[in-house]
Amino acid sequence: MSITSDLLRGHTETIILASLWEQDSYGYEINKEIMRKTDNTYELKEATLYTAFRRLEQAGCIKTYWGNETVGARRRYYSITSSGRESYRTRKADWEEAKRMIDKLLI
Amino acid sequence: MNSRIRDYINDLFHNAPMTKKAVDLKEEMIVNAEEKYKDLLAGGYREEDAISAVVNSIGNLEELFRELEREENEYIYMEMEMQIRQKKALYTAIAIGIYIFALVVFMFFCVMGDMFSSMWYMDSLPLVGFIIALLLCIAPTCMLVYVSQLLPKESRRKERRTEGYQEWNERGARSKELRKAISSVIWLLTLIIYFLFSFGTGAWHITWIIFLIAACVESIVHIIFPKNK
Repeated sequence: MSITSDLLRGHTETIILASLWEQDSYGYEINKEIMRKTDNTYELKEATLYTAFRRLEQAGCIKTYWGNETVGARRRYYSITSSGRESYRTRKADWEEAKRMIDKLLI
Repeated sequence: MNSRIRDYINDLFHNAPMTKKAVDLKEEMIVNAEEKYKDLLAGGYREEDAISAVVNSIGNLEELFRELEREENEYIYMEMEMQIRQKKALYTAIAIGIYIFALVVFMFFCVMGDMFSSMWYMDSLPLVGFIIALLLCIAPTCMLVYVSQLLPKESRRKERRTEGYQEWNERGARSKELRKAISSVIWLLTLIIYFLFSFGTGAWHITWIIFLIAACVESIVHIIFPKNK
């Protein structure tokens, strides 16, 4: 599972952009969705998640804001920007390309 | 009951840089971790197992802390750069002011020389004025040379990929500043020699050639210090 987890970790930012595509979300919810989608086989470490958030924010791909929760402590929400959507399309295309090439090289 | 998670995360953040971003991040992590903890309990986990699961899911924060520190340092460097830039602008403005003042002084002496041209030894007044003006030019010239060397410190590279290019660019910028400084010295010297010769020999119809010579000297300097090292 080690190559797989490296590959997945390399695409963390793309995965986050994908999960923010439809609607805004926050750290734990994004992680929960990833676990759900992969049938609990893949869980992102919080450190990886937050590092990816920072990078995406610095690149202007996502914006962040504090929620105003009525009950409990306030959560930090993220939303995707238009340049984030563009970046996602490019990254997805890169991944498709890489997938094609590797499949061609393997028997 | 939940404070164990909060305490654990507080502990983790002892190594974190002391910035607002780090504090915000800590708050975000605590909120997320506590929600996960609640979900696990609701899903049937025992308290101890839930806490272990949450702790394990956090991972290594070292790289995150280092990035926070890097961001903070970049911010500080940008502030320093701003200050240096303001200093440069101030000194340049003062230098130009003094140059203009020197010119005015020289013209004043010329006018005086004209007015009192009939009087005894007053017709060397323009020369005196010129010398005084040149002396006045020492200070602004030194200021400008100082300003041209006052480059901002190398700021931490935002993207490590462009490291080579930035270094090359800065080296190019330094040798450009050096060339500018040498250029201005050449022209200043040329002016001095021109006026000295002209006033001394009175052969204004010849001495202008020195400017052509100066242009040649400057070209030679350009060859010695090419634009691209």
